[in-house]
Amino acid sequence: MIREDATALKERFGDQVLAVVAGIDCPEVTVAREAIVDVCHYLKSEQGFDQMIDLCGVDMSEHPSHGDGDARLLVVYNLLSVEHNKRIRLKVAAGERDLVDSVVEVWPTANWFEREAFDMCGIIFNNHPDLRRLLTDYGFEGYPLRKDFPLTGRVEVFFDETQWRCVYRPNKVENRVLIPKVWPGVDRG
Amino acid sequence: MGIEGLLDKGFVTTTVDKAINWARAGSVWPMTFGLACCAVEFMHAGASRYDMDRFGIVPRPSPRQSDLMIVAGTLCNKMAPALRKVYDQMAEPRWVISMGSCANGGGYYHYSYPVVRGCDRIVPIDVYVPGCPPTAEALLYGFIQLQEKIKRTNTIAR
Amino acid sequence: MAEIKNYTLNFGPQHPSAHGVLRLVLELDGEVVERADPHIGLLHRGTEKLFEYKTYQQNIPYFDRFDYVSMMANEHAYALAVEKLLGIEAPERAQYIRVMFAELTRVLNHCLWLGACALDIGAMTVFLYCFREREDIFDYYEAVSGARMHAAYFRPGGVTKDLPDGLLDRIQGFTERFPGYIDEYETLLTENRIWKQRNVDIGVVDKEAALAWGFTGPMLRGSGVAWDLRKTQPYDVYDKMEFDIPVGATGDCYDRYLVRIEEMRQSNEIIRQCIEWLAVNPGPVKIDDYKLTNPPRDLMKDDMESLIHHFKFFSEGYPVPEGEVYAAVEHPKGEFGVYVMSDGSNKPYRMKVRASGFAHLEAIDYMCRGHMLADVVTILGTQDIVFGEVDR
Repeated sequence: MIREDATALKERFGDQVLAVVAGIDCPEVTVAREAIVDVCHYLKSEQGFDQMIDLCGVDMSEHPSHGDGDARLLVVYNLLSVEHNKRIRLKVAAGERDLVDSVVEVWPTANWFEREAFDMCGIIFNNHPDLRRLLTDYGFEGYPLRKDFPLTGRVEVFFDETQWRCVYRPNKVENRVLIPKVWPGVDRG
Repeated sequence: MGIEGLLDKGFVTTTVDKAINWARAGSVWPMTFGLACCAVEFMHAGASRYDMDRFGIVPRPSPRQSDLMIVAGTLCNKMAPALRKVYDQMAEPRWVISMGSCANGGGYYHYSYPVVRGCDRIVPIDVYVPGCPPTAEALLYGFIQLQEKIKRTNTIAR
Repeated sequence: MAEIKNYTLNFGPQHPSAHGVLRLVLELDGEVVERADPHIGLLHRGTEKLFEYKTYQQNIPYFDRFDYVSMMANEHAYALAVEKLLGIEAPERAQYIRVMFAELTRVLNHCLWLGACALDIGAMTVFLYCFREREDIFDYYEAVSGARMHAAYFRPGGVTKDLPDGLLDRIQGFTERFPGYIDEYETLLTENRIWKQRNVDIGVVDKEAALAWGFTGPMLRGSGVAWDLRKTQPYDVYDKMEFDIPVGATGDCYDRYLVRIEEMRQSNEIIRQCIEWLAVNPGPVKIDDYKLTNPPRDLMKDDMESLIHHFKFFSEGYPVPEGEVYAAVEHPKGEFGVYVMSDGSNKPYRMKVRASGFAHLEAIDYMCRGHMLADVVTILGTQDIVFGEVDR
């Protein structure tokens, strides 16, 4: 059942399907950026994946498997088929200036998920009806979930008594790291 | 003289300040400004086990009709102007209780980019209630502390 | 000819019925809603960024604070996700305890939902009745974890501590009283003319639209799709429980109300079955591996190796093998899922939380078109939105 979808995808799309891995919980298929909408249409109509459960953006720049020439950003789609009770994960790699086609025409729920991926990681979606900031402040600059954005942010909000409004001042708090990030088996000497 | 004066002579004497403070402390009407999880404990403080109403505390939905604002929950940068606007809409005398560690000083989200590290950066605070979330009982304790603070204020006397 | 424009109204962010911080910009033609544009992010606390800077153990309490009316259900998803990545399974007693508390959490959530939704529509008594039940369940949370609300009880590997003595009897007493209480709520609301007029044929969503808009949980079941993760993709010991799932017919607010009331009754059944099993089956509640859970304190004070395990566990944490996983639970509001991407270290590389309220709130424009202003409040109530999970 699980291999069926992935092999059917490979037959249909050939070299647009870049990799198929049997993940821990569901098959993971890496798809080329240009083909994502066609793949999603196919999965929804032929394979019965009627729900898009999640769409998220990931900044892969500090991942151990990230090479120097690889695309920085990754879009991950988690799909669910209520009809056949199966899940699948699609991954699309994109560079910082690459456009990923929006899947809003396939599942209308993708609207806000894509807005959030744009807001958090800076992934720009083509043909999106309304691509603007969703979670961050009005007039926020930067993409918070990118690895080069500091945890404590760049600005803080204060209330200014003279101007009688809320103002932004540069951030003075730094994150304190009590426990470092360690990998097992790595020499910490 | 106090209550014995009422029984003896039929009247009591007190200062105008004490009378004003008694009236103000006995019927503090908070505004429902629940932002996050602390709002649920605030609702529990108003429910039947820890009844707020017996202290004269009746939540009012509008800032124009309330004396107290309880900032219950994490204040984020996007929400800060709205908080200040609502505070400015309240009429004097007004008090603010900062409920929970997120409102006190950023709390669990202190090091995070969109969080205001304490709502005292935006509005002046009278009572800080610690906890994450403070139990409904702790919030009632905070109310009583506020009542004590109100009773200590002077309106007529310098 | 006079120029007619739509009236733009700002509903929130401070509003008694806005269920938290929602800024809903409504374009109205008289009383009828033409367009609804929700502005969220007023409670965006940057939790997903914070996750990357804390170890897996330190991330547990953040999950309580996502959907802060049903705390342990969120932790459940995280515990399952990390267990999948580590390749471990919680002991059976821990799974039964988790199922029992997950169902208690479902009752907790639906009680607050009913109280708040009824309060918004105007039925104020139900609020006090529902909170009476919530106070009892908060007592059970406190007995088992020490905190009334944010328990941090479910951990990867099981639960922190076993149930204290006498708790099962108290919960048993609760399950005996509870159906009577649900009957009270139903007497007040179900056949009530005003309740029916406010809820029937409001916010109708048909099957295809519900699936396309990413609805899950009672929103999906109210529209006629019989999908419940506890039955279709069971986790922990749900496959051993006997319960039914209610499915609605028309997909309006009244059906969703009936679905949730019936879910409360079914949860009661599941809790009763768990109590029966737990009363006669003692056992461990955490996995045996002290690299992944902390050793008991008396052992830590005697044995050197346990002391080292305790120290390493609480300071550095445990490394999780490289990989990614998506784990979802049937949260009272829908499907709550956690997508964890690990890079092999002791801190996660990326964790994305899929909250059901996010997809539901997105569809408010679709659901509110053509309805009147007062119906917007009803629809917002029926979607069971909590901003901790929408904004994260």
